[in-house]
Amino acid sequence: MGTLTDTLDTLPHRLHRQALEHGADVALRHKHLGIWQVRTWEQLADEVQNLAAALQARGFSVGATLTIISRPTPRAIVAALAAQWLGGAASLLDPLDAPAGQIDLLGELQPDFVLAQGHEELLRLGAAQVTPRVLIYLDKRGLSDSGPFDQASDYAALIDSEVFAETIPQAQAQQTAFVFYRRGQHTTEKQRISHAELLQHGQQLVQREGLGRQDEALAARGFASGGQARYLLAPWLIAGLRLNFPENLATRDRDRRELGPTLVAGTRETYERLHGHALERLPPPGDNARRLVDWALAARPGLLRRFVGHWLVRRPLRDVLGFSRTHAPLVVGDALRPETQAFFESLGIKVRRWGDSTEWEVPSISPASVTNGRDERHSQRIWKEATT
Amino acid sequence: MTRTAATQLLELDNISLSFKGVKAITDISFRVAAGEICALIGPNGAGKSSLLNIISGVYQPQEGRIRFDNRERRRMRAHDVAVRGVARTFQNIALFKGMSVLDNVLTGRNLKRRSTWIEQALRLGRAAREDDSQREAAERVIAFLHLQPWRDALVGTLPYGLQKRVELARALAAEPRLLLLDEPMAGMNADEKQQMSRFIVDINRELGTTVLLIEHDIGVVMSISDHVVVLDYGRKIGDGSPEAVRQDPEVISAYLGTRH
Repeated sequence: MGTLTDTLDTLPHRLHRQALEHGADVALRHKHLGIWQVRTWEQLADEVQNLAAALQARGFSVGATLTIISRPTPRAIVAALAAQWLGGAASLLDPLDAPAGQIDLLGELQPDFVLAQGHEELLRLGAAQVTPRVLIYLDKRGLSDSGPFDQASDYAALIDSEVFAETIPQAQAQQTAFVFYRRGQHTTEKQRISHAELLQHGQQLVQREGLGRQDEALAARGFASGGQARYLLAPWLIAGLRLNFPENLATRDRDRRELGPTLVAGTRETYERLHGHALERLPPPGDNARRLVDWALAARPGLLRRFVGHWLVRRPLRDVLGFSRTHAPLVVGDALRPETQAFFESLGIKVRRWGDSTEWEVPSISPASVTNGRDERHSQRIWKEATT
Repeated sequence: MTRTAATQLLELDNISLSFKGVKAITDISFRVAAGEICALIGPNGAGKSSLLNIISGVYQPQEGRIRFDNRERRRMRAHDVAVRGVARTFQNIALFKGMSVLDNVLTGRNLKRRSTWIEQALRLGRAAREDDSQREAAERVIAFLHLQPWRDALVGTLPYGLQKRVELARALAAEPRLLLLDEPMAGMNADEKQQMSRFIVDINRELGTTVLLIEHDIGVVMSISDHVVVLDYGRKIGDGSPEAVRQDPEVISAYLGTRH
C-alpha cells in the first residue's frame, strides 16, 4: 500500500491514509445478487491504484478529465478516485438525464477519456459522435454486436492487469477534483470543485454532525451533483464512515429501509418521494387508524401522546422509511417544501439543509478544451448560490 | 448466421399429431440451429402450441422423429426433456402465485439439485450446502431480468407483464440449452414488449441460449428472429429468414386472411 504521507489535502490522499491506518475496516458496501458485498479500505485503495495504473498506461495524466457516465456504483467511485489519484478530474454524468441533452453535451465536450456504464451509454457516445482515446465500460451486456466500440476496454479486465501504479497520489489541493455540467436553453454551464473546497465543506459537515467511523451512508444517486460530492463523498473519506450503494435505483428505498443509514444526504426529491410513499401507506382519512396516526403526529405532543405515538406510529414509520437510526438527515441543494419538512419533523426527524455552494460558469472557450484542463482561466463566472 | 453450416440443436422430421382422429399437425419438419432465435408463427389454431408441447414432451406425436442435441427420441416424458436441457414458458401464466418471485425462480433450479427430497426436507448433507449455490444462481437470473425490486413480492400481486418476466426467469433458472417461449408478449403494451424483446435477445446473445418462440406480433418476430417457421392448419407453409418469409406469397396469403 505504500508509505504514509503527511499530506491530507486531497481526496486520494485521504483514501491512502484510510487504507494505511484502517485497511481492514469496511469502506464500501454494495448490494449485489441480494447480498451486501464488502470492500475494505485496503481493497478499495488497491483497486483505485490498479485502475489508475491502467489509465496512466493509456495516456491519462495530470490535468486530464475522466468523464464517467454511470449510475452510482462502487466502480464509478473507484474510477473517479483513480482519475484524481493521477492528478486529474472526474466529470460525472447521470445516465438518467434525458438522452437528447446528454448527447448534445457529449458532442460539445468530445471527452478523451470515458468510463461508461454499458450499452445504453455507449450508444449515447456513438450518437454524439464521440471517439475517445480511452473508452472503458462497466457492464458488457449487449456489447457483443457493438461494432463501433470494438476498442472499448472491460473495467474488470483492466483492474486485473498488472501494471506499475503510482503508490502516492499525484493530486494537489487546488486541482479540480470534480467537474459537473448542466445545460440551459442556450448555454452549457460548468461547475468545478477543487479538492480543497470539497474537503473544507466535508470537514464542516463531519464536525457539525459529529460523523465518525460508526456511521453509515447510502449513496442512492451517487455523486452526479456537486452537493453529493461535498456532503457524502468528502465526509466518507474524511471520517472513514461506510458508504453503501443500493442494488439499483428501483431498490434504493427498500435498501435504505434494510440498512437504516445514520447519514442521509438526499435531495428535495428524495424526501418528497419518501413523504409520498408514507402518505400512500397511511390509512384513508376518516378511518380510526388514520385518526390515531394524525393524533400521534400532531405538533407539540404531550408526554402521553409522545410516548404512545412513538411506539405505535413514529417509530414504525421511521423504520418503513429507513430513518430508524438516522442522526444526520440532510437535504442538499433546494430546501424542502414546508409540508414535507413538517411531516419529517412530526416523525422526530429534523432535516437540515446544506446548500450546494455552487459556482456555475459559462466557458468562453469550447468545453472540450476546458475539460482537458488546458485552459481554465477564461471562464466567466455568472452566478453564485449562497451556502446555507 | 449461416444456418446450413450451423450445428442443429433441434431437428423435427415428419411430425404428425392428431386428437381422436382430428389432425392438429401434419408432417411438419424443420431445424433449429444452435444459438439462434427461431420464431414459430401462424394464425390461431395453426398448431403452434401443439408443436411446442410435442417438443417439450407434453404430447407424444403419432408419427415422426425428434432429435435434440444429436440424440433421437420417439417418446419421452416432459421431465426427461427438461433434464436434457429444454425449458419453457406457457401461454397462460403457470406460476405459484402465493409464492415470492425468488421462490418461484428457485423452483426452476430443482433439476440442478443433487440432494434427495429427504435431505432437503431435513436440511441434511448436500441440501444445506446446495442452498447457497442455488440461491446465488437464482439471484443471477433475477438480476439478469431486472427483477430485484420484486424479489420478495408475492407473484400473484404483480402486474401481468412482470408475471410473464418471472415465468421467463423460472425457465431461465434451469440453465436450458433450448428455451421454448409460448407467446411471451401476449397481453403486453408496447413498452413491455420492447423490454421483453430486449431480454430475449440478451438471453440469446449473452447466455448463448437457443430460443424457439411463438409470437403473434409480427413486428417483434421480424426484429428479433434469425429464423421463422410459419404454420397454417397444422402444416408448414414457410421456413426461412425473416426477409424471405415476409415475401413468401403463401405466408402473405395466410396472414392477410385472403384464404380465411
